[in-house]
Amino acid sequence: MDMNKYLKISDLNMYIKTMFDDNPYLKKVYLRGEISNFKSHSRGHLYFTLKDDTSRISAVMFYSSAVAIKFAPEDGMNVLVEGRISCYPLQGTYQIYVDKMEPDGLGNLYLEFEKLKEKLAKEGLFDSKYKKAIPKIPKRVGIITAPTGAAIRDILSTIKRRFPITETILFPALVQGEYAKEDIVKQIKEADSGKYDLDVLIIGRGGGSIEDLWAFNEECVARAIFDARVPIISAVGHEVDFTIADFVADMRAPTPTGAAEMAVPTVNEINNMINSYEIRINEFISNLIHKNKLRLDNILDSFILKNPLSLYELKEQALDNYIDTLNNYISKKLDNYKLILNNLESSFVLNNPMSLFDLKKERLIYTEKSLDTNINNIIIKNTHSYQILLNTLKLVNPLGILDKGYSLVTKDNIIVKNASNICENDIINIRLHKGKLKAEVREVNYE
Amino acid sequence: MEKSFEDALKELEGLVKELESGNVELDSAIDKYTEAMKLAKYCSEKLNTATDKVNKILTESKELENFEVSE
Repeated sequence: MDMNKYLKISDLNMYIKTMFDDNPYLKKVYLRGEISNFKSHSRGHLYFTLKDDTSRISAVMFYSSAVAIKFAPEDGMNVLVEGRISCYPLQGTYQIYVDKMEPDGLGNLYLEFEKLKEKLAKEGLFDSKYKKAIPKIPKRVGIITAPTGAAIRDILSTIKRRFPITETILFPALVQGEYAKEDIVKQIKEADSGKYDLDVLIIGRGGGSIEDLWAFNEECVARAIFDARVPIISAVGHEVDFTIADFVADMRAPTPTGAAEMAVPTVNEINNMINSYEIRINEFISNLIHKNKLRLDNILDSFILKNPLSLYELKEQALDNYIDTLNNYISKKLDNYKLILNNLESSFVLNNPMSLFDLKKERLIYTEKSLDTNINNIIIKNTHSYQILLNTLKLVNPLGILDKGYSLVTKDNIIVKNASNICENDIINIRLHKGKLKAEVREVNYE
Repeated sequence: MEKSFEDALKELEGLVKELESGNVELDSAIDKYTEAMKLAKYCSEKLNTATDKVNKILTESKELENFEVSE
């Protein structure tokens, strides 16, 4: 038996795999189908089956591609996929290796819408702080829409009906189809260029399918609206249609007619406004005049202005008061001086000039007397002192002692106190109580 | 140059607010009042005798032409 004719399964499968891989038609395949048996592996790879009415194919989407998908795939969802066809040799199955997957149809548009809305919201393009006020009375209104159709007709007829003195400028634009977004952006820039002195700009179109309205969901249109300096009212489709343009515009109108109503007031409104201004200032001015008249009347009514004499009377009385005060003051002063004068006149000295003399005399006598007394006292005191001194003198007289038998020896008028001062045969004088002796010394004893 | 309706109305609005602020002396208040009443009359006349403005369209050559909606 020739065993060599039997192939290994793996070899066959590998061979088949190369057949797929080498086929240029299978390298890039676009498929449209519904997801079933969807399974998301914990490692991030997606395994599912794509099917249509009659057939099915296995599909795998590896993590590296799966991270890029912007929606949550699930069973029953219609999707558009892009990938290559190859064989999985371990199981002998062929499958599509999906690189890109998007929801099919309207779901796709809706997804784009949500994505852009989220992005622009995050950037702050919808923030109310950027919303410009729509002027109450525009001189000139710009309109970007198709030059034919219900939208422009509704807008113009509404403006004419409400406030015919408003000027309008239509900036015609494609509002659906491939080139609509560029056309709209171009006209927004033109209208906002400052050449047209617009007070407000209406951008919109009539109702249609979501695809028809799609230009108003384009990012470039949204940014052009955001960047414009002129206030913009968006009016796309019907009440229920919301577009990105509606979110970014300064004001959203439910319909083109609604936009025109927001853009201009009615003549009646303005008439009423002017009337109310007239009423207000009339009231104000008559109030003001009334108030001032009252004030004036009050002043004219005042007592002084009505009784001018009272001014004079008041002064008269004041003058009297001053005169009285002055008189009082002067007479008080006079009385005071009179009193002082009287006191002086009645003084003792002036009335008894001799008393001055008597006083001096008395003083003299007294002085004389005291002088006498003092002299006598001095004499007596001195006499007494003299006696004392005399007695004292007597007591201390060296000669006084001689009467008691002592004698005084002198030699050459010097008192001899020591025998050693004397030599034999010296002549000495001796004084006694009564009389003197002259003697010669016989012997000297020195003891 | 003739004042535009919008400017006249804006001026009128300003005068009313100024008067009502109460910081105006009698003499100038009466002047402003007179002016405001003139403006009110002017605005009313303009508003109610105004003929329709013609609608314009910007052409490809960037020129403004009269525009009528084709039915």
